[in-house]
Amino acid sequence: MVFNSLAFLAFFALVLGLHAMPFNWRTRKINLLVASYLFYMAWNPPFVILLWISTVVDWFAAQQLVHAERKASRRAWMLLSVVANLGMLGYFKYGHFLLQNFSDVVSVYGVHYVPPKWGIVLPVGISFYTFATLSYTLDVYLRRALPARKFLDYALFVTFFPHLVAGPIMRPTELVPQFEQERRATRRQLQFGLVLVLLGLFQKVVLADTFLSKAAEAVYDTRHAVGALDAWIGTLAFSGQIFCDFAGYSTIAIGVAMCLGFAMPDNFRFPYAAVGFSDFWRRWHITLSSWLRDYLYIPLGGNRHGRARTYLALMGTMLLGGLWHGANWTFVAWGGLHGLYLSIERSLRGRFAGYRPGPMALFALGMLTWMLVNVTWVFFRAKTFDKAWQVLTAMFGAHAGAKPILSTMLIAATLSIVAGIVAAHWWMRRRTLESVLLRVPAVALSMGMGLMAFLIVIAQGNGNAFIYFQF
Amino acid sequence: MRSFTSSSESRGEPIATRPGFVRQTAADRPGIAQPVPERDIPERPWGSIWIGAVLLAVLLTGAWEWHWRAFGVTPSYRNSNGQWAQQRRRIDDGEGDALVLIGSSRTLFDMQLPAWKKVTGEQPIQLSLEGTSALPALQDLAADRKFHGRLLVGVTTSLFFTGFAYRGDAIRDWRKRTPTKRIGTWLSMHFIEPYFAFDDPDYALETVLARQPWWPVRAGTHPHVSVRKLSLSDYDRNTHMWPKVVTDAAYRALARSIWAQQWRDPPPPMLDTPAKRQALADQQIDLAVKAVKELRAHGARVIFVRQPVIGPYRAFEDQTEPVVTTWDVLLKRTGAPGLVFSDYPELRDFKPPEWSHLSHADAIRYTTLIAPMVERLFAQEPARLAASKDLKLR
Repeated sequence: MVFNSLAFLAFFALVLGLHAMPFNWRTRKINLLVASYLFYMAWNPPFVILLWISTVVDWFAAQQLVHAERKASRRAWMLLSVVANLGMLGYFKYGHFLLQNFSDVVSVYGVHYVPPKWGIVLPVGISFYTFATLSYTLDVYLRRALPARKFLDYALFVTFFPHLVAGPIMRPTELVPQFEQERRATRRQLQFGLVLVLLGLFQKVVLADTFLSKAAEAVYDTRHAVGALDAWIGTLAFSGQIFCDFAGYSTIAIGVAMCLGFAMPDNFRFPYAAVGFSDFWRRWHITLSSWLRDYLYIPLGGNRHGRARTYLALMGTMLLGGLWHGANWTFVAWGGLHGLYLSIERSLRGRFAGYRPGPMALFALGMLTWMLVNVTWVFFRAKTFDKAWQVLTAMFGAHAGAKPILSTMLIAATLSIVAGIVAAHWWMRRRTLESVLLRVPAVALSMGMGLMAFLIVIAQGNGNAFIYFQF
Repeated sequence: MRSFTSSSESRGEPIATRPGFVRQTAADRPGIAQPVPERDIPERPWGSIWIGAVLLAVLLTGAWEWHWRAFGVTPSYRNSNGQWAQQRRRIDDGEGDALVLIGSSRTLFDMQLPAWKKVTGEQPIQLSLEGTSALPALQDLAADRKFHGRLLVGVTTSLFFTGFAYRGDAIRDWRKRTPTKRIGTWLSMHFIEPYFAFDDPDYALETVLARQPWWPVRAGTHPHVSVRKLSLSDYDRNTHMWPKVVTDAAYRALARSIWAQQWRDPPPPMLDTPAKRQALADQQIDLAVKAVKELRAHGARVIFVRQPVIGPYRAFEDQTEPVVTTWDVLLKRTGAPGLVFSDYPELRDFKPPEWSHLSHADAIRYTTLIAPMVERLFAQEPARLAASKDLKLR
């Protein structure tokens, strides 16, 4: 069920009503759990079985490993959880990709192997809930946390519908304690939660779907070569679209959880004002980047084993982070580029350790970061390397004679919205939305929210799925 | 599980003055169990702010609705993929022996289901899709063994023989519609579509903005004007021409000028020579022959119908898809009966206001006239097929 749909609107109203009823806390949690399963089943009912498998395996593994005394036993239970979760993810998400690549490799040695037709649909949100449940057993294994006391609390942590299919990727220590104590949303939480839902919907329905997606689709989905202006506008449009789409989703998720009385973490912190790539990854998809840092980069050695090992760990983390997004080498290239940027930045920071940029230099470095991030989006958006190369070379002057494809309206809309996003990110760089809202006059807030609601209604979004659902 | 306390509303320090990154995230806490997140709620009169926002949104939406109603729009069901899927499912849900109409917008607008029912006692299932060749729907039904009824295939030659399928996704995706989408369609058809005139793709924000005359045309581009609103639909996809096309001369002229782009603009590369067009037409006919054979194998009967078209549109179609090399070949190779409006004196004088679709009143009259003809052809079909088999055996 997508947040920007009538079905969700009705579902959410029912859940809110049910959650506000004077039932005891356990009953209200069971209601939330059942609602979350229904939310998931609204896509493809049989896939709920995978969710149950993941839930039960990790619950059982964590219970066992906390009681295991021998190190080998602890490791075995942890590995059971990792293999079960990554096994499901691997089969559903990477099965065909692996077979296809196997076929390509053996063909080099003259073996003709045609992989079987892969008619398996990717269960929505599998990458997200796999990481969430994995963090549960891994935290217990790493002795960072004790297992949940009640299965209901744990099952609800895995399944809680606001974060289930596209994050923010929650850690058990962030959510389970919230289920342990009775809570009911205050009026202010409900009111402000709805403000966040409205803001997220505006980002998704109006900015991403209505204005930015068209230019990105026109440039990236055409078979023909495009010129420099179209390539840049298409890429900038995608850069704005993916931010508004995903940050919009996260904002709605946080707002929905708040309406029910729960707190979820920020997933974005104005990333297009990042200065450098380590800063970018502290601002973009924070719950994924910190997950990769805590459960992949640090266990791979992090920066504790010398420079070479650090760069290897960095590169490995980013390549796998790229692959997490999708079973395609273009995503690996995207991750690889980010890994390369991070490595270069790390090297430069070492060389210019005492350098402190002034305001202008800071802005220039920020703009450079943003432009280089835009280059990576080409690989993220293009479905093939050929297309990525076509767009990338066009951005730097190739295909000068290509027929223009974007209309003046799409160019104007893209430039104004993307410029607005970047400007807003710079202005908000060291602020939070909440601290800014404190200072805006109430009348202006009313008018802004009313206008956003009106634009959402007349945009007539048709429930387009969020981009990150495909991951 | 370690327990942390959420401090969403009880922080000591005001959120506006907290230094640095004013709210820590997992990015700031490497390698530890993450605590319960903090969520600030700015101290504002949110209740009154919401009241003001809702009032403004209602006011603006009301003004938007009034604007489109003043333009002549009335609430109508959306001709959506969900609505199409709903009708398509009827065949799987026990109406496999029904009369089904497939084709493009001419069959959608010109065949009036209540009028058909009045004449024959049976209301057909309307599965025509605008801007879309009937072939994908023909193939879809051919692959469905549950369908063994009668099939009227509307042929708009410029679509059928080029394979153009603007709404092809409706047919491709109807079996894949998730429970969410089905619930969404149901909610929309019960709580939104019957009440709001502005809820129409032609008046969506991006569409309205894009067609404003103030946008300069970018050098080197040839903007193609999309088809404007032409029809109103009922719950069961019974569709008729929007009265504005009949009563408003300027709007009618606009609709005609949009059709005229087909013969004024250069054709797409795959259709830029008669030889290419013919090759494409032959391909479509091959596919249609196969589909009709499959349909007959599970007991379905098929007839092809060409609905009224006049003026430059007819001239364009006659020229680009000559009857002798397309329509006649289709009938001959499928062995199915065909009905062309211009062959019948009572059908040939209809005058579609924008050359291509009948007005509502004419569509009712036309349906009343054509329904018995079509039913007669269907009734003769088994005998005709048997005779043709005999002839082949001899």
